[in-house]
Amino acid sequence: MASLRSMMPRLRHGWVSSDRIDRLAWRAGTCFDAYGVRVGVRFNDPALLEQLGPHLPPGWRPCASPEVDQIFSVWVSPRGARARTIGRVYAGGQRRALAKDLEQAFEVLESEIRQSVAAAARGRTFVHAGVVGWHGRAILVPGRSRSGKTTLVAELVKSGAVYYSDEFAVLDRRGRVHPFAKSLSIREGGCARHEVVRRPRAEDLGGSCGVKPLPVALVVLASHRPGAEWRPVTLTRGQAILEMLAHTVPARLRPEASLLALERAVARATVLRGERGEASAVAARLLEQVGESAGTSRVGAGARGTP
Amino acid sequence: MKPAARRTGLVMRDLPDELIVYDLDRHQAHCLNRTAASVFRGADGTRSLDDLGLLLGDGLDRAEREAAVRMALDLLGQAHLLEGGAAHSPAPKDLSRRSALRRAGLGVALLLPAVASVLVPKPAEAAVTCITDCTSQLPGTGCNCPSNSTPPPCQNVCFPDGTCGGAGFC
Repeated sequence: MASLRSMMPRLRHGWVSSDRIDRLAWRAGTCFDAYGVRVGVRFNDPALLEQLGPHLPPGWRPCASPEVDQIFSVWVSPRGARARTIGRVYAGGQRRALAKDLEQAFEVLESEIRQSVAAAARGRTFVHAGVVGWHGRAILVPGRSRSGKTTLVAELVKSGAVYYSDEFAVLDRRGRVHPFAKSLSIREGGCARHEVVRRPRAEDLGGSCGVKPLPVALVVLASHRPGAEWRPVTLTRGQAILEMLAHTVPARLRPEASLLALERAVARATVLRGERGEASAVAARLLEQVGESAGTSRVGAGARGTP
Repeated sequence: MKPAARRTGLVMRDLPDELIVYDLDRHQAHCLNRTAASVFRGADGTRSLDDLGLLLGDGLDRAEREAAVRMALDLLGQAHLLEGGAAHSPAPKDLSRRSALRRAGLGVALLLPAVASVLVPKPAEAAVTCITDCTSQLPGTGCNCPSNSTPPPCQNVCFPDGTCGGAGFC
């Protein structure tokens, strides 16, 4: 496991800083790199630095230089103070949240860092989507939170699929999808919490976490309606790219690279769109579909994906 | 009339039977089917409607070709993909895609132009669980969720200074 170095971050030359926030008495900080994005975090209480590790994005590495692209700051009220707001979280010069307790402050910080990395990652295109692996290929479930994406991912994992992410599909230039789950080295017990909301761990669902990048076999654009029967339509490649653009974090910032990654991701994939009812019924059908196209129709025990 | 399609401020990706066009000015993305893509590519300001119709192949007669070209230009104009907006003779009012489909056989229907569009979200909109705010909300009550998030209510609470306190999700 990489360890964080205590180092007060500063923005790279040419980046706009915030004097108002910079003037505060920051007493501890650190810098790291995630997906090519250099991030700094600073605190007014040095003890908080030790709690930061579990909240860093997957794949982070310590930086040797204090110069970063983004600075996040957490200011906490002095211990014993009777303040309603315990923590203030800043992204650059903007206050992002007033937190009622430290846990919430770290949750906001974690979420803010992840979103920042998702937008600015170099060589990767982040799509808001759940991902599982099955027979060496990926099933993507794009969608906004609360769209039922996590439920479907959980059912897929329960059915034997390998967990990759329920927040971001991380696409490389070849259109392969990489895992976005916290690395086993920085957390206890597998795929621990990786978003603001609490989620079950893959292990709790009887699953495991993927490691290798996978080509995409299936993209599922499903909206949940209780009682709905899963009768999806198959989208053309262009329609699929258009649908996925709506969930692609850097689409506005890097449209050319985003389009290329999406095009390659769906090049050999089936893309389905439709309403679904219960996730468990749909999950089995999706796995069956991918399994059949992979040369086997076995679903369940003995036919699990390869991490 | 010799229509001209936009050529600047766009990112394009050619697919086997479609064309993806990203409008850098409006941050809209469009998917053009083969017919719409043929008209878009051919509309260079030098071709007449007849000339553009010839680009659509042999599956249509002359009147159908002209109708398809006009329909494509309508759609391209609505998508802001023509120079000067939709400055061309509009398609006849009864020439909706639906009416054309009714009149045409399946083979011809496949040649009807289609343009699907989507507004590309800002990074935060695409990435974040949801963005909260406290517009019109009293202190101590739940924050507003954006209209595209489901379901309310937000678990976070508005503070007296109008900020939403919490983890930033609904």
